Amino acid sequence: MNPARRHLLRATAAGAVAAASGQSMADTVSTPPACHRLGLQGEVNLLGNSFPAIQHIARIAESCSSAGLRVRFKLTPQARSETELAFGSSRVSPFDAAVVSMGVFSTLHARGRLYPMTDLVRKHGERYRLEERMLVRVDGEVMALAFMQNTQNLYLRQDLFERHRLGVPRTYAQMLQAAAVIRRAEHDFAFPIAQGFAKGFDLATEFTNVFAGLGGRFFEPGTAKPVFANDLGEQAIETLRSLLPFMTPNALASNADDVMNQLQQGRAAMGVLWASRAARMDDPVASRVAGKVAFAAAPAVRDGGPPAAHLWWDGVVMPRNGGPRREATFLVMMDMLSEAAVRSGNDLTIWVRSTFKPGRFGAGVELARLAGARPWPGEPFFALAHQELGKVLPDALVGDQSARSVLRTAAAAYVRAARDKGFTPDNARAGGAA
Amino acid sequence: MRTSEFARFAAPSAVLMLMLLALPLAITLWLSVRQCTPLLEMATVVQTGPFGTETITTQRARFDQIGRPIESCEVVGLANYRQILGHDSADAGSEQRNEFWEALKFTLLYTLSTTPAILVGGLTLALAVNLVTQRLKGVVIAASLLPFIITPVVGALAIKWMFRDSGLVPHLLGQVGLHVFWMAEAWSARLLIILYGIWHVLPFAFIVFYAGLQSVPQDSLEAATLDGASSWQKLRFVTLPHLAPLVVFVTLIHVMDAYRVFEPVLVLTQGAFTASVQYLTYYILMQENNPFKASAAAVLTVLGIAVLLVPLLRKTWREQRKGF
Repeated sequence: MNPARRHLLRATAAGAVAAASGQSMADTVSTPPACHRLGLQGEVNLLGNSFPAIQHIARIAESCSSAGLRVRFKLTPQARSETELAFGSSRVSPFDAAVVSMGVFSTLHARGRLYPMTDLVRKHGERYRLEERMLVRVDGEVMALAFMQNTQNLYLRQDLFERHRLGVPRTYAQMLQAAAVIRRAEHDFAFPIAQGFAKGFDLATEFTNVFAGLGGRFFEPGTAKPVFANDLGEQAIETLRSLLPFMTPNALASNADDVMNQLQQGRAAMGVLWASRAARMDDPVASRVAGKVAFAAAPAVRDGGPPAAHLWWDGVVMPRNGGPRREATFLVMMDMLSEAAVRSGNDLTIWVRSTFKPGRFGAGVELARLAGARPWPGEPFFALAHQELGKVLPDALVGDQSARSVLRTAAAAYVRAARDKGFTPDNARAGGAA
Repeated sequence: MRTSEFARFAAPSAVLMLMLLALPLAITLWLSVRQCTPLLEMATVVQTGPFGTETITTQRARFDQIGRPIESCEVVGLANYRQILGHDSADAGSEQRNEFWEALKFTLLYTLSTTPAILVGGLTLALAVNLVTQRLKGVVIAASLLPFIITPVVGALAIKWMFRDSGLVPHLLGQVGLHVFWMAEAWSARLLIILYGIWHVLPFAFIVFYAGLQSVPQDSLEAATLDGASSWQKLRFVTLPHLAPLVVFVTLIHVMDAYRVFEPVLVLTQGAFTASVQYLTYYILMQENNPFKASAAAVLTVLGIAVLLVPLLRKTWREQRKGF
């Protein structure tokens, strides 16, 4: 592409971004939010992680502030621990509601820290056009309002795949073959695969995806007893290990940010990454590969199997130990999760509302769902197994420990952590007393 | 001074110290020997959401008569300590290295390698700046202090971005044919943290030694010159003895600081290949969400600092007594 054309494209993209943000500002600032007409009083405090979609709804929530109402939305990367601390306190929670992922939701719900919103949904849901798929119900009670969704997709450099006549990899084996071809042919791609293998959350999530893709079960059905230290667990580790020769030697310290950086800088040709990050591949400020990256469902581990990925949702929850402002909080949330909010922030994430118009970057969840991806494990004790796996898996990948030994260590540590949290990681079955 | 008068003067400080130091320490000790566990029961629930309907096996809280989740709290003695130190019965037969001992090993390595480096580096820099002409001193001192002024997390992030894939340092090294992956192995990740520590704290040692150099008695230096002492001999027998109390001071402060190394571990490696004892406490508190075990880790950290400081405190105590 000649420089003038490249410049023109960049300018057009920048203009589009500016126009989109201008639209967003117009929707959030110039149009008075519906909450202003309600005469709400008091103070509403909300909490959530800090990334573009939540920053967007936080701005809308705070715009509900008026003479009688003060709305504050705390954005912090420590949202998960702050939520668990605030909702778990024996005193009144300093936050009236929080944005949580489905993993945190399971933990908070199991510990009885969430207050149902069924009555408020019944009273106001129709007026604010709440959709049934937004309502996370447990045994009929609305415990959360889901507003955004996510999964892991395969990102691939379309230009390279076309140049070398490679098809979109449907399995990890095909992905390795494509990586070998690109490495042989392209001088700049010594490490064609980029994936989040950082110790902790990232690597444990990769293991979870691959293990589930093999058909593995983490727990004995109907119990919290771990059963992942088995042949399928070893196979999952072997699959992850087979990627290492095609990844940067820094892989075990590469989190999702690093993977995104490698793809944006044109250092990697493919990799599995969060679907919500897709739009950033075309960010003219940060990406050198704008327009060159395509998205597909994550590869399967077995021929004909489901993609090695899970479906996630993020939603808002209210604490059992909340203050007296429950209804005001709910009405503020109705504005921040409204159809207008989705329209003005359409490209910021993959929204749950049906008014969301998936563009080139927003189709990821649907791709994964159609290919058979399952929701992230909903057992509240799963987070503990995930945490313990994340600690020890690097030892198996670098060969310090055998895969079986690492899995056994993780299972033993899980049992101990689960007991500390009140779970019974033995043979107690659902329906029986703990 | 009368005892009552002394008590009135000392009371505000004593109360503040009790509240801000002794009380939190006592609470941490108390928490470290306890464990609170929610009472849960097995259940199968039907959950619906954006991805359809699922039947999930769960364990959910039991509630008391006024609707609060029931928790059982008990004193568990040293169980939390045993778990952290790897002496728990569940660890028997595990081939896994114990996290605490691994973290302690690296913390000691960090402390023992950065301390001499900042002492020698700080003193060398102070001597060099002392020789610079008066006009340049201000600029050189300001530039030397920059790493110490930068917030630790910001400094660590800057270093991370310089050293990660396609960062400035790997790019420059690549130009001369050297391909180093700093986060690929334990030794390089640890070296990077240690280099960051030296870069960040060296200005502190420098400024203390530089201040000390301004008070070296000039008559002693002149007398040594008249006696025919070389520059090295003047440094060895006049300047260094004068700076000795400052060496102890810098060592004392840095050992306390280094033992709590946290930000570079969190930012540079996120615990991959290496962790420090302070990072471990953070991890247990924030990720495992277990304040009781985290309290035990915190107490062990304080004990570690105390053990390291004993020789230095004894030396300071003796010098203080000599002074009286």
